Amino acid sequence: MARISIDPVTRIEGHLRIDVEVDGSKVNKAWASCTMWRGLEAILRGRDAREGWVFAQRFCGVCTTVHGIASVRAVEDALALDIPPNAQYIRNLILIGHALHDHIVHFYHLSALDWVDVMSIPKADPARAASIAEGSSSWQGNSRRALEAVQDKVKGIMAGGQLGIFSHGYWGHPAMRLSPEMNLILFAHYLQALEFQRKSCQVVAILGGKTPHIQNLAVGGVMNAINLNSLATMNMDRLGMLQGILEDLIPFVQQVFFVDTGLLAASYPEYFHYGRGVANYLAVPDLPLDARGTKFDLPGGVIMNGDLASVRSMTNWKDEPFRKAITEDSTHAWYQGSGPIEPYKGETTPDYTDFKEDAKYTWVKAPRYNGSPMQVGPLANVLVGYASGHALTRKWTNAAFDRISAVHGLKVLPNEMQSTMGRYLARAIRSAMLSELALEHLQLLTTNILNGDDTTCNAPQFPSGEIMGMGMHEAPRGALSHWVVIDKGAFTNYQAVVPTTWNASPRDQNGVPGPYETSLIGSPVVDAEKPLEVLRTVHSFDPCMACSCHTLDATGREIAQVKVQ
Amino acid sequence: MKNVEPSEHRAVSVIGLGNVFLGDDGFGPLAVETFRCQYECGPEVEVLDLGTPGLDLAPYLYGRELVVIVDAVHSDFPTRAVSVFCEDDFASSRSCLRITGHDPGLWDTLTHLRLADCGPTELIVVGAAPESCVFGDGPSAAMLNLAAEAAASIAQVLTHCGVRCNHRNAAPRPNLWWLPLNPLESLGVPEAHVNA
Repeated sequence: MARISIDPVTRIEGHLRIDVEVDGSKVNKAWASCTMWRGLEAILRGRDAREGWVFAQRFCGVCTTVHGIASVRAVEDALALDIPPNAQYIRNLILIGHALHDHIVHFYHLSALDWVDVMSIPKADPARAASIAEGSSSWQGNSRRALEAVQDKVKGIMAGGQLGIFSHGYWGHPAMRLSPEMNLILFAHYLQALEFQRKSCQVVAILGGKTPHIQNLAVGGVMNAINLNSLATMNMDRLGMLQGILEDLIPFVQQVFFVDTGLLAASYPEYFHYGRGVANYLAVPDLPLDARGTKFDLPGGVIMNGDLASVRSMTNWKDEPFRKAITEDSTHAWYQGSGPIEPYKGETTPDYTDFKEDAKYTWVKAPRYNGSPMQVGPLANVLVGYASGHALTRKWTNAAFDRISAVHGLKVLPNEMQSTMGRYLARAIRSAMLSELALEHLQLLTTNILNGDDTTCNAPQFPSGEIMGMGMHEAPRGALSHWVVIDKGAFTNYQAVVPTTWNASPRDQNGVPGPYETSLIGSPVVDAEKPLEVLRTVHSFDPCMACSCHTLDATGREIAQVKVQ
Repeated sequence: MKNVEPSEHRAVSVIGLGNVFLGDDGFGPLAVETFRCQYECGPEVEVLDLGTPGLDLAPYLYGRELVVIVDAVHSDFPTRAVSVFCEDDFASSRSCLRITGHDPGLWDTLTHLRLADCGPTELIVVGAAPESCVFGDGPSAAMLNLAAEAAASIAQVLTHCGVRCNHRNAAPRPNLWWLPLNPLESLGVPEAHVNA
């Protein structure tokens, strides 16, 4: 039996170690360990509840916006504060822009190289590649000339012997099966994606004032001033600018990202049978359409044991079963305490012991929903929407299935989405949904402003006694909730139950493992020195551990290593 | 670096990188905020604290003519001093490009952008070796003392590259919002927003 430690897992956001035991050529045990402490909760205690969102954005270096949003929503929930429609729409557009950026970066820049063999690109026939690409999409960047230019660049890199960031790929691995032409197409889109992730950031920056770390949030709404007669505020020019950026961005999402994911799925159909993992799914409703958060454009709900018919819809943020169901367990995490505890009473006192697989081995706590581990993320979001008959989810999921079937001859069933490849496909489906909703929410904002409403914030008033609140957000990586206790306007407790905590959860007090750990069981490992199959499944979750200490290393010391024992 | 005549038509970014809650790792944000307060530049210059964005740096380097990155840097250079690096210093044989969870993503992002022909024309790093990267403690005294020197180095780099940059006569106080709470402040919040 071989023991493989991948530390750190690369091309993720943050720090993650994966240990697996391989029996023969399959994984039979796995441990996921987050190797850095996210201690922001400790910093937030005692801080003014109105400024918590500024600090909360630093929970992560990448998902800054989502924590800012969840933080203000938590305080607003504690105060039962109504949010003006303009503020909801502006926040929603920011969340859509951020999510599209995140999903594009994940597919192309963080995970594509698990599937795309860059070193085979010089062998491709650009004319044939262009014919394949133009046959499946009307995207203008698929011409023979464009693909030849990309191929020449790759040839240049290889001829110069300076592979740089491409020197660590598992090139030539037997599990890399795309033709040279397919590799060329996907790598061309990998480079083109840089332009479009930038455009989605522009949406966030125009509305948020800056990104990362948007500056426009406020407990009670947003700080964007609206005045159609002023050049310095939100006006028709600014709204028109947003429309133009979205009209550039949306074709890339729908004609490239969505299409490429189908191509990948059809080329690696066995990955619809690997990586299922925990088959309990949790998604929270988002993109609110009213002041109190009772109507949403993205559905929430819970599915247990992989049974789509069992879906329980979560129709509003006050959902009592959700609030009562969430606990966190520190039995195997480097914190004091052990068994389940509700977030309002949660503690974040470190208790580091080194990696001990039968005791404590990670900085991530084990969140549980009525005692069960849950998988969160775009797959949960899509499955909950599909199972509950959400029209937009069904439209784009069926479009993905139809495309894979019509173009590639592979029939995918909804239940097969519960897999490594399902997580990739779900992220593209969700992106297509969000791209459609972006224009709708921009129109809602424009219409509301043209109707004469320029209100963007309702100022908070804090009572003198203790209040509690919970803010949720369906972030790019899944269900996020911030839980706050406030006294005299300052936080006395603050706990964040984040998507990667759900997915990277360690075992709980009953020894039940979390989604990453479970998803790796049964995964093939053809070459223990190059555990590509393990990385594909881990990357399918889009891990985002707390970003933490990072200093440039001018000595170029190597840190990543795979140990096989 | 070449001496360049001043121009107001260049796209220039001064970017602070680092985790402000990890002691000296937050040197970049500290230095660029100090620079923003002590120096005045034209509208062509963006001064940004980007935190720890990883590969999400791409939009901020995309198509810029000059990028000055300010960060804590592990190097053979002396501690308690500000050093200036060119891109070649990092890409040369004494340091190889790599992708790890500890890397801020700068070199990976640059490689992506150069391949797509949209990387910055010139990139310069202003750095200082960290003394301590301890969670929640704020920057060390040594790093706080280096902030003004780093700001002067940024100004010098910009001027050398032909970017107008003038010392302010009356500098506003830097907004270092992330520094640890004063123990007295942590006892309560201003009465103004608390209802009886």
